[in-house]
Amino acid sequence: MPPVIEISGLRKTYRKLLRQPHNALDGLDMEVAAGQVHGFLGPNGSGKTTTLRALLGLIGTDGGAMRVFGEEVPRRLPQVIGRIGAVVESPQFFKHFSGRLTLQVLAESAGIASARVDEVLEQVGLRDQAKQSVKGYSLGMRQRLAVAQALLKRPELLVLDEPANGLDPAGIHHMRELLQWLAHEQGVTVLVSSHLLSEVQQLCDSMTIVSRGRRIVDGKVADIIAGHSGSQLSVRFADAGEIGRAMEVLASAGDGVSVAAERERLVVTGAPEAAWVTRTLADAGLYLSELTTETKNLESVFLELTGTAPQAGQPVQVGQAVPAPPVGASAETATGGEQ
Amino acid sequence: MTLFRAELHRIARRRLSLLFGIFAVGGLLLITAIMWFNSSTGPSEADLAAAQQMADDANAQYEDCAADERYFENDPDYSWVADDPWYGEMPHEQACAEMFLVGAEAEDYIYVYTFQFDEEGVFLLIGVAIVTGLLSMLLAASAIGAEWSSGGMANLLVWHPNRMKVWGAKLAAALALCAVAVVAMLVLAFALLYLTAAVRGDTGTLNAAWWEDTLARLGRTAVMALGMTVIGSALAMLGRHTAIAGGVIVGYLTVGELLVSFVRFGVNSIKYPDLLSLYTWIGAWIEGRMELEYWDPVTGLPDQLVLTATHAGLVLGAIMLVFAALATWSFAKRDAA
Ligand SMILES: Nc1ncnc2c1ncn2[C@@H]1O[C@H](COP(=O)(O)OP(=O)(O)OP(=O)(O)O)[C@@H](O)[C@H]1O
Ligand SMILES: [Mg+2]
Repeated sequence: MPPVIEISGLRKTYRKLLRQPHNALDGLDMEVAAGQVHGFLGPNGSGKTTTLRALLGLIGTDGGAMRVFGEEVPRRLPQVIGRIGAVVESPQFFKHFSGRLTLQVLAESAGIASARVDEVLEQVGLRDQAKQSVKGYSLGMRQRLAVAQALLKRPELLVLDEPANGLDPAGIHHMRELLQWLAHEQGVTVLVSSHLLSEVQQLCDSMTIVSRGRRIVDGKVADIIAGHSGSQLSVRFADAGEIGRAMEVLASAGDGVSVAAERERLVVTGAPEAAWVTRTLADAGLYLSELTTETKNLESVFLELTGTAPQAGQPVQVGQAVPAPPVGASAETATGGEQ
Repeated sequence: MTLFRAELHRIARRRLSLLFGIFAVGGLLLITAIMWFNSSTGPSEADLAAAQQMADDANAQYEDCAADERYFENDPDYSWVADDPWYGEMPHEQACAEMFLVGAEAEDYIYVYTFQFDEEGVFLLIGVAIVTGLLSMLLAASAIGAEWSSGGMANLLVWHPNRMKVWGAKLAAALALCAVAVVAMLVLAFALLYLTAAVRGDTGTLNAAWWEDTLARLGRTAVMALGMTVIGSALAMLGRHTAIAGGVIVGYLTVGELLVSFVRFGVNSIKYPDLLSLYTWIGAWIEGRMELEYWDPVTGLPDQLVLTATHAGLVLGAIMLVFAALATWSFAKRDAA
């Protein structure tokens, strides 16, 4: 099945009078496969919202191509918009309109039966607040209303910009179940941007990480985490004097294995598996006392990939992420992830 | 079409629409009440008798004064007149005439205003149409402006990516609402004012010529109200905020016209400085004809320029089109978020 969303080389430059032009998107590529929950990650200001806005035709772009359901957008957007539900902006019309009236006006504008309004309000848990005016909604309630609005059309593609924003733990849990149910039971393709890494780890099947308006990595969430953890092994010996000889043994035994001495331990990267290290060392008469796999979570992978790991207590400024690695590196990880 | 209906629904359910509606009808009732209490077909017998009594008293006072050479000296209230050299110089009767009314009549003591519907009613109706147009302009501007500033517009565009359709539906809904409001207010105003004139004043004769003239003027005023609604919507589209659109409108109507009047007095090279004022064109449009006078400062000879409804329509229509075109272009090209 072809990807539901294909974006290639997308560029967006914000120009302001008397200011240097700012490249919010700098040749971004992204593919989202059908029937999956796809996470869209990146540091603040990396261009996630900009990408989603461009995809929905809200802003013009300065280059690149986008396709949704195989149709070129934004040119053919009117033909496919009926199949897309999106949350990028607040759906309120007037503050004193009730949640239900807000949705009703939208439904009416697209010829959707108003019975569907109550259905989606129920679905996002706003049934009892439906008659309340939007003015009195809390942040989480507004977010739920926005999601309800996106579900109104029974979309085949859901595009959500930070749907977990402002939700309480129960709301996040509910949202996760809802999105996974939509994707896995109803065959809806879901694209969510998020900052909550644990959330993405639990919610998404695949993801794209961007930094400074470029893709750094994409693939299955599990593969990306696996691809960046376990590759590092830490080895200790009862006698620290054996470190020097162990280095020589390991380095000469394997192709592509790199070994570094670090105080009392050895750091091995590129080893095929942990057992290989044990066996190789034992064969040479060296017995290790401790071997640990440096398991990583998505957070450390994210920080490593986007270069936003805080240094010595210094706050990281928005936009200070490392430039994206060369395209070759990203493609390698990308394909690695999909296999 | 569904979009148009949804837009109508949206504006109609708005609280500000209700507020403006109440405001407009309330204003109309107030005007009617003022006309009702001020106008009368003539004084009552008792009023007339009281006024006649006051006139008789005044005449008697003058007679007393004229008959008595020492009237001022004897009356402590008027002794100052006797001492005053100005009055001392003149003959006694003339001094009396200066102090008191001569030949007072009952009409001098009674004020009768009769509301003349066929003449004054027309101006009130035009006023009602203009105010309704202004309210509709503000309503349209604030509806669009509020949607822009709340993010609702961007959300709507996610539903309806064809921006020209969205703009068309919004404009059409605002115009439909304006047309309905103007017609409804005019019918109501006509009924109320005609009734007032019939009971408390004079309806005059509403013949075919009157109807033709009045309907033409009211029709042009209604068209202007529609044009104002277009400009209000366009300003909100350009400014993307209610406050910006409202500020531009109020700003022009106050500061803009003030600047025009400065130009009028300060610059002599413009032969007809009135042409710079929007009000001149609006007047010409509604009245159908306006004459601007000019006296040559050297020869003192008069000259005049006649503005017809066609001239005014072209100028005002062009202004409206410029705003509408700018708004359309900006909506089509600019990023919506
Ligand atoms: N309307 C705008 N005018 C100028 N610059 C903008 C505009 N919108 C976004 N940008 C810039 O584009 C860049 C990307 O912004 P974007 O909102 O896409 O980031 P994001 O990835 O969604 O960030 P966050 O995680 O904080 O939501 C930022 O540097 C931002 O300053
Ligand atoms: Mg964002």
